[in-house]
Amino acid sequence: MIDKRINRRSVLAGGFATAGLAALVGCTPAQGSQTTTLQFWHLLSGGDGITMQGMIDGVNAAHGGFHVRPTVLAWGAPYYTKLAMAGAGGRAPDLAVMHSSRVPGYVPGGLLDPWDLNQLTELGVSESTFTDPVWNSSVVDGELYSVALDAHPFIALYNTEICEEAGVLNSDGQLMRPTNPEDFLEMGREIAGVTGTYGLSYGFIGDGNQMWRLFYTLYCQHGQQMTFPPGGTVEVDGDAFTTVLEFMHQLVDGEVASPRGTIDAAVAEFAAQRTGIHFTGVWELPPMQEAGVPLGATMIPPIFGNEAVYADSHSFVLPHQANPDEQMRRDTYTVVAELLKNSITWAGAGHIPAYLPVTENEDYAELTPQAEYAEAADYLVYDPVAWFTGSGSNFVQQFGQIVGSAITSGSGYDQALEEFRRYVNNLLAQPNPANPQGGRS
Amino acid sequence: MSSTATATRTDDAQVNIAEVDVTKVRRTNRMPGEKPLGLARILAFLALGFIALLWLLPMLWAIVTSFKTETDAASGGLELIGPNGVTTQAYEAILAEGNVYVWALNSLWTSAVITLITVTISALAAYAFSRLDFKGSRWIFLAIIASIIVPPQALIIPLYYQMLTFNMVDTYWGLILPQVVMAPIIFILKKFFDAVPAELEDAARVDGAGRLRVFFSVVLPLSRPILGAVSIFVFIQAWNNFLWPFLIINDTTLMTLPVGLQTVLSAYGIQYSQVMAQAVLAALPLVIVFLFYQRQIVKGVATTGFGGQ
Amino acid sequence: MTDVMASRSAAGPEPKVTPGEDSKGRRTSPTRGQASRRGQLVAWAFLGPFMAAFLLFVIWPLIHGLYLSLTDQSLTGAGGSFIGLENYSEALSDPVMWSSIGNTVWFTLITTVPLVLLALIMALLVNTGLPGQWLWRLSFFMPFLLASTVISQIWVWIFNPQIGAANEILSAIGIEPIAWLQTAHIDLISIAIATIWWTVGFNFLLYLAALQNIPDLQYEAAAVDGAGRWRQLFSITIPQLGPVTGVILVLQMLASLKLFDQAYQMMEGGSSETSRPIVQYIFEAGFVGYRFGYASAISYIFFVLILIVGIFQMVVLRSRKGNS
Repeated sequence: MIDKRINRRSVLAGGFATAGLAALVGCTPAQGSQTTTLQFWHLLSGGDGITMQGMIDGVNAAHGGFHVRPTVLAWGAPYYTKLAMAGAGGRAPDLAVMHSSRVPGYVPGGLLDPWDLNQLTELGVSESTFTDPVWNSSVVDGELYSVALDAHPFIALYNTEICEEAGVLNSDGQLMRPTNPEDFLEMGREIAGVTGTYGLSYGFIGDGNQMWRLFYTLYCQHGQQMTFPPGGTVEVDGDAFTTVLEFMHQLVDGEVASPRGTIDAAVAEFAAQRTGIHFTGVWELPPMQEAGVPLGATMIPPIFGNEAVYADSHSFVLPHQANPDEQMRRDTYTVVAELLKNSITWAGAGHIPAYLPVTENEDYAELTPQAEYAEAADYLVYDPVAWFTGSGSNFVQQFGQIVGSAITSGSGYDQALEEFRRYVNNLLAQPNPANPQGGRS
Repeated sequence: MSSTATATRTDDAQVNIAEVDVTKVRRTNRMPGEKPLGLARILAFLALGFIALLWLLPMLWAIVTSFKTETDAASGGLELIGPNGVTTQAYEAILAEGNVYVWALNSLWTSAVITLITVTISALAAYAFSRLDFKGSRWIFLAIIASIIVPPQALIIPLYYQMLTFNMVDTYWGLILPQVVMAPIIFILKKFFDAVPAELEDAARVDGAGRLRVFFSVVLPLSRPILGAVSIFVFIQAWNNFLWPFLIINDTTLMTLPVGLQTVLSAYGIQYSQVMAQAVLAALPLVIVFLFYQRQIVKGVATTGFGGQ
Repeated sequence: MTDVMASRSAAGPEPKVTPGEDSKGRRTSPTRGQASRRGQLVAWAFLGPFMAAFLLFVIWPLIHGLYLSLTDQSLTGAGGSFIGLENYSEALSDPVMWSSIGNTVWFTLITTVPLVLLALIMALLVNTGLPGQWLWRLSFFMPFLLASTVISQIWVWIFNPQIGAANEILSAIGIEPIAWLQTAHIDLISIAIATIWWTVGFNFLLYLAALQNIPDLQYEAAAVDGAGRWRQLFSITIPQLGPVTGVILVLQMLASLKLFDQAYQMMEGGSSETSRPIVQYIFEAGFVGYRFGYASAISYIFFVLILIVGIFQMVVLRSRKGNS
């Protein structure tokens, strides 16, 4: 008298449950193996993910004593949240990738362990193997908390054929670099004349990250960076702020660039060779090469006078562990050193390797168009140091909310500046949520 | 026919929830003397057709996009077929990646387990509230009904803590267990059990059967329609659940379909036809099941919703 | 077994009351202490599994959440000191919390009417028995089967400001394209449109079921009395849809207030002042801002608000039922 349908369903479900449990059991690493597993978390997906996987495979092949097991998590806020919670729950990975800009917010909460400079030097990694901006972004409170793998700046990719036709290449066949706003806009219009649509692809609408990247580049080109002193008031040059917003508005006027450009549509546009210049991060290089675009790449022209290149770095950090296994820690250092030394592969993905011995090598000089923007490493500007800034942070999202309508509408620059000041000062007055009481947990 | 499942018509004009059948809309639903092809009916047909087309369009557009080349898709425009023609390259790219299968499988079996557990424990509990008198029965039932008001999102943070404590983060059971509590199901099932005449059970009890035996051999078979209906509803809810699986699972191989797809949206290098192909593939399982079991599914959802009256 | 049942119903209901039980078979009084204890045990055997889950996954988090809201607990494990009602006072004066609640309420308002009206129109049209029943059911109900990520992806594509279908259509008829998800206020409307498309099917089914239950006799009688189609609609059909409309409204409002999935996904992890629902703010405060204590406090404020709305609805519905 037992109901047939329920019976069938329960058998089915039971079968699934068993299968699932079996899969779970099967997933457990084999007991009693000789190699230790190093858990490695990162947020590199897509083309970057494949490149990184290749590099990890290389390290695993060269070392039998340990095995690096990567877990890829989605880019953005959830990654940092899960990393923090794993740390809080005592289940932190052995090694993780973070953006350098995010590290200062994590340190006070006791979520990261500092790197031992001596151990690193033994493996060939030290202050002298990084440029100043990169090294400075890795140091917090006098200790080294992150080891940079790369710098991935925000640059200008350009289509050499279209730009040549528009007459905006210099005698070396590289993109001209205007030193004032009007010249750049004129350049954009000339390219638009050739393409018949827009001259520049720039995805920004509704996207705080993209807006901030270009904005901060242009702001710092005025010769100074913003400072966010904890517990104090924000230091920002009001004139520079509004001037940059004005310029960005002129940029997306519907002639030079689309007034409603999204990041993906911009990518698609440039890949289909419908525009001449693409403001984007270096990570877009491989896809564009794959799409067959005749490519050049350069730092964004110093429109406001100085060279400044907004960037962030993928850096290796040591999630805090109460009782780290000595051998596993040593292995982790080895892994990092090896990845750094092999980062010429990483350069192929468009990033500028942070490890100087790689960039000073002649192999790197032969990479085009990477070599064209290699000097950006000397002009990098990172996010203002604060617990709330950094790639994918809420701060950047909010920035987009604050200046977005000013950029699209061409008005309200002063209001945007005021709102920005209010917002940042409000945040500066708050304690770091990762460490509300101000002491180590 | 299960005439044994007739509910009593109370003053509230409650309906016989087991006899609701929305799939049996009669064709002769017109006034006496009205012509089948009257103007009114033609207009109604056109209106219906228009709204139905409107409702199908978004999905159709997704399908159309998924069969274009990336260049065609990215150039915008409303053409059904791009200059480069129809292609399956997007589907090939996704199926080659292999993750979609895993996610779909995860969704399938976790939803099935959730449904099985939920319906089982809810039926048992509802029976207890309906038939068994015990201390605190009234208050506990009230508490369960009151909990319907609590939005699950209000609980996610402490729930996540709990999972951390039990070491169940990033596990299938951490995903499944918090989802088996569905208070409305208890309410619906209790209402149904209340309406089953006690005489039917008495016969078995007189023969000496215990409560459990009575439950399994008398009550459950009678409850086939409502249990089926509720199961369908629970399955759909479990399948489409996003927030909890999103929080609890980090490992890509453990993700359910909605969560796995979300990671596609956040990766850089967006390719429109591939994203649409993924969406279509994700929609396919339940839609195919719907095409074959439309009657049961529609009945199930309607009955459950109706039973909430 | 079937014979017994058939003979019983054929003979007419003969209430057989066992001592100690009422006509429904429930125990009314313990006959012996032993029996009642056994009754308790049996009851708890039935109730046990559910109660275990209920206590573990509803009650415990509820209480723990309440406790958290009184601390400055951080997601990172730091904090955790007792700070009393500080979180609550901060939340109540937090403009973002209020704007989030405002967005949620506004969203509820602008989706409830279409979700009820459209569903009713669809059900009425389908109920006329026009050919193609399976096609109508498929068209209106199929979206309901889709996961939130699927509908979000589809609509994000349609709403793409540069190359999406929506703007293409606008340009084709000469209207200036809109940045659907990137413009203040319009972003919430865009989310509402997607939501309506997604969930109207459920209400449609409920209405259809209700329409099925209106006896033909009523219509025939009215037709005999000379009442036309429209008259019948307003004096027979609509009034009898009262109860199910009540159910739909309650379910609808509760669901709208809990808005998160599609809003979060369509804004692609970001959020705007005019589209962030309250649940997303809770999520952001806790999981992005790392302030578990603060997020829990907001949760509880939200919970109390829903409670008030729920009670209010019950009171209104009760009195409506009493009047009709």
